[in-house]
Amino acid sequence: MIASAYAATAEHAAAGSGMPQFEPSVFQHQIVWSIASFFVLLYLLKKYVLPPIEKILDERGGKIRSDLEAAEKSRLEADKIRQDVQRQLAAARRLAEQTVEEARLEAAKYRDLARESLTQELAKKKSVALAEIDAAKRAAVAELHDAVVDIAMLATEKLIAKSMNKNDVSKVVQEAVTAIQANPGKLQ
Amino acid sequence: MTATAPVVAAAAPKMDPLHHFHVTKYLDFDYLGIDVAISNSVLWMWIAAGLVLLFFHLAFKNPRIVPGRLQSLGEAGYLFIRGIVDDIVGEKGRPFFPYIFTLFFFILFCNLAGLIPGSFTVTSQLIVTATFSLTIVGFSFAYGFYLHGTHYFKFFVPTGVPVLLMPLMIPIEIISFLARPVSLAVRLFANMTAGHTMLAVMFLYVVTLPWWGAWVPFGFTVIFTGVEIFIGFIQAYIFTILTCVYINDSIHMH
Repeated sequence: MIASAYAATAEHAAAGSGMPQFEPSVFQHQIVWSIASFFVLLYLLKKYVLPPIEKILDERGGKIRSDLEAAEKSRLEADKIRQDVQRQLAAARRLAEQTVEEARLEAAKYRDLARESLTQELAKKKSVALAEIDAAKRAAVAELHDAVVDIAMLATEKLIAKSMNKNDVSKVVQEAVTAIQANPGKLQ
Repeated sequence: MTATAPVVAAAAPKMDPLHHFHVTKYLDFDYLGIDVAISNSVLWMWIAAGLVLLFFHLAFKNPRIVPGRLQSLGEAGYLFIRGIVDDIVGEKGRPFFPYIFTLFFFILFCNLAGLIPGSFTVTSQLIVTATFSLTIVGFSFAYGFYLHGTHYFKFFVPTGVPVLLMPLMIPIEIISFLARPVSLAVRLFANMTAGHTMLAVMFLYVVTLPWWGAWVPFGFTVIFTGVEIFIGFIQAYIFTILTCVYINDSIHMH
């Protein structure tokens, strides 16, 4: 079947004039129409197709250019703003540092003042306390003296009232001590 | 075989792999003695031209700054040709841009339209490609002569060659110049013809082989159709590039 197809094709080719492209009777109209079609297409493309393409490409080019310019302008503006902010920030930082320094100095001054006044107060309190202690000591000594006198007087009283042996004296002293202990108010 | 032979023989005209290239006149016209018949070749020229216009109409129906898919494709096509013209010819090539643009898309769409089953490949006709190539080379020669006057004949005198070799070199240059339209025309015609003949032969195998063997040539035609689309682009591109080269030669000489 394949072989016969081949044979049929070969027969057909042999019967014809070879390649159909070399048949001169179809040349002239193709030359004419090729040129005519080309120039008609050229005319239509030039009139209706190329202008819109060029227009939109130019428009896009213009838009890109203006966008780039706008972006550049914005960038410069942002740069300026950034510099301003940095300047302000630096000024603020300087001011803050200055304030802190001032505060520190003032604080130191107050601290010194406070320390001095405290020292003075403490010294005053100390001297007062010392005076009080001294007075108390003196009072205690006087009291002790009175007490001893009282005891001695009491003991002497008892001693004079009756003759006493050692036991009696000891008993009397014990009584006196007990009496004083029982009633310390008597010593005042 | 003897039983099937008459059937195959009857189907033979349809199985002619060159059948695709037959020019059939539909309407026979004559204008002032010039044959202006409408044939399948002419019809498909118009269809290709119409497809070019339709493509660009759809692509730029509603042009936008941010292009859609089709618009991007159209712009890519435009910039592609613009790039070729600017790269090869330069500033002085700008007036020729519309011509080269038209040439590229006309040839491209003729090549591609020829792949539609049942269509006709205009660029597989040597007379059509020769018309274009002769016009282009003839124009480039005339334009070079117009720009440079008799100076243009120096084009055929290569520089930096000893005078003694001139009797040899000048004929070579002239022959290579004359070969330009031939090579330009034959390259496109032969590529289109060979590709489509190959496809036709493969399809012939598809219909004559039994089902278990037919898928092999059929698979080949599927792949080769893709290759043909690529060749259609490449040949249109080469034709355009060479046109630019010839125009550049006539402007700047070499």
